[in-house]
Amino acid sequence: MNKPVLQLEKLSKTYTLGKRAVPALSNLNLTVTAGEFVAIMGPSGSGKTTLLNMIGCIDKPTSGQILIDGVDVTDLPENQLWKIRRDKMGFVFQTFNLLPYLNARENVELPMEGRIKSKSERRERASKLLAMVGLSGREEHRPQRLSAGEQQRVAIARALANDPAVILADEPTGNLDTQNKQGIVKLLANLNITQGTTIIMVTHDGEAARHSERMLLLRDGKIIREKQGTHAMKKNTYASEAPPD
Amino acid sequence: MRALLVIIALGFSIAILVSIPAGVVANQQAASRITSTLGSAITQTEQALNQTLNQITCSLAPSFGGFGFTGSGSSGSRTGGGFGGSGSSGSGGYGGFGGFGGFGGGSVAGQFGAGAFGGGQANPMNETLYSNINTSISGVVAVEPMLQVSEGQNETVSFYGRTFTRMVPQYIIEGVPLTSDLVGNYPILPTDIASGQNLQAGETGDALLSENNSAYFGVGVGGTVNILGTNFNVVGIYKPSSVEDTEMLYVNLSDAQVLTNNTGYITSIKVFTQSTSDVNSVASAISALHPELTVSTAQDQLNALEAGQANSNSAVTNAQNSLASTNTTAIEEIIVVVAATSLIVLFVMLYTVRERTKEIGTLKAIGFSNSTVMRQFMLEGVLLSVVAGLVGIAIGVVAAPTLSSLLLPTVGRVVGFGGAGVRAGLANTVTVSPELILIGFGVAVLLGTLGSLYPAWRAAKIKPAEAMRYE
Repeated sequence: MNKPVLQLEKLSKTYTLGKRAVPALSNLNLTVTAGEFVAIMGPSGSGKTTLLNMIGCIDKPTSGQILIDGVDVTDLPENQLWKIRRDKMGFVFQTFNLLPYLNARENVELPMEGRIKSKSERRERASKLLAMVGLSGREEHRPQRLSAGEQQRVAIARALANDPAVILADEPTGNLDTQNKQGIVKLLANLNITQGTTIIMVTHDGEAARHSERMLLLRDGKIIREKQGTHAMKKNTYASEAPPD
Repeated sequence: MRALLVIIALGFSIAILVSIPAGVVANQQAASRITSTLGSAITQTEQALNQTLNQITCSLAPSFGGFGFTGSGSSGSRTGGGFGGSGSSGSGGYGGFGGFGGFGGGSVAGQFGAGAFGGGQANPMNETLYSNINTSISGVVAVEPMLQVSEGQNETVSFYGRTFTRMVPQYIIEGVPLTSDLVGNYPILPTDIASGQNLQAGETGDALLSENNSAYFGVGVGGTVNILGTNFNVVGIYKPSSVEDTEMLYVNLSDAQVLTNNTGYITSIKVFTQSTSDVNSVASAISALHPELTVSTAQDQLNALEAGQANSNSAVTNAQNSLASTNTTAIEEIIVVVAATSLIVLFVMLYTVRERTKEIGTLKAIGFSNSTVMRQFMLEGVLLSVVAGLVGIAIGVVAAPTLSSLLLPTVGRVVGFGGAGVRAGLANTVTVSPELILIGFGVAVLLGTLGSLYPAWRAAKIKPAEAMRYE
């Protein structure tokens, strides 16, 4: 049994809109172990983004506990949380969020700054990560010269920069066409299988979710259903496939 | 693109910040120049007049009174002319002083000195009619009838909407009687001979030239000079003393009368008295004999000088007042520009932070600390102001004269008559000193830093969740 990288215990979050209290999450329990590929699904307003923000140490719960890699981050102040985000989390956004004035490699290097002193070491690692996501030879390209799918690959490489405990992907296929959707989801699945990367992906794309090994359905701030994805059965298929280009 | 606009805007602010102090310094210099020029002119003239206290000058009023002091001036002695001279031929920067020239008197010399406000030609006097002004008057020791004629070109000058015709003299024929009792005994000729020798008693056909005359005619000692069709031998060249007119060409009175078709006519009579105590009685005696004459004693001239001094004092006061208002304006403008500059930086940086909220959120999400983000934005703001500071200094060095004359009331403008001259002089002297460049650069960096502080803090406070916003 792998060790848990994420433990949520009785997690609740209530927003106040004016005088009205709006519960976003209520008494949610979840444990993710290392090497899992979890898809979180649910309609809008079900609490997906709130949950993701909690896991990503971007927002604080009203009550409950969050443990990342065994560390209780629930009450950590901002001046310590940023380090958790840098070292334990890798974010992948729906809109890629690459810095337009930096090239692909520099974007990947960004999270390493302050962690890896040597510039050449950062360069080398960034190039290796770009190769891993199938972008060898595109290191010097700025985001506007890359397709949407390629930009998301750069973003994934950036998320992997500091070898995080968890990759948090927020609708990673939301801004992509069908073909690129496939490519990105397969890339994530492949990373999960070959590198053992733990992935938590929020999506409302059922097709994408099927590539995970564990699907959670969220509604009204609660996990109402959990089932196996098809991922596990196809592990060999992913592994044998070359990284998509 | 926006960065470029900011750099230009900030650059101009810095240019203005550098130009204003440069302009103030230039104005201070102008004011002290006005003060010292007026002061030394008065002192020189006073000294010269003190040496000629036992002289009386008699002449007819000029046919045209001119403007300003011209009318009130009476006998244009060499002294008077010389005084005016510092106005017209004076060093350009002090054009205003020309107004004073008229004080030299209604004489021809006065006209020369008068600058833009020149008096008219002197009225010729019939020599025989005035032959009773002689040593028979008690207290008179010598009499020097003189003929003075300016030769030059007429020029039309517009001043405050009025048009005047003035002569731009090229030289002034100064006919003095080269008699043995006068030459060497009384100050009728210049004394500082630069080369050759002075005119001698009884000499005719010879001329003593000023250095300016020599240059104008292109002739030296031993050469001949053609004056109105007659050749003269140049026996000497003199160096004008501070109060002598620089354009006077000395010949024998009889030569001058023939030359200028003035046989039997003179333009003034200078009377030398036994002592200064005789001056007043002699002057009244001459006035009694010839009421039509303007009789001027050195005392009169001293009095007139005092009036002039008062005038010059008020010019100095004006300059100082003007300087004070320049300083006030400068301080006000600097405050406005500093405030504007900080606000430009502040708003531009705030806008930048706002526009890049998502980017900042992303940086926070991927592991940038608050302080790193803040440092990043501070650096950006400072960098922007460093570049802007350099641009501003470049603009300032080139445009300081223009900017300071646009932004500051210059001393010259308020002084009045002297306005144009002083301003012309001022424009050349507005320079941005190295100290000012350093200060300007420092201010740019300081304002950039201050202006970036709040926006950078705002940037640091952006939540990582902002990265999740979909546009």
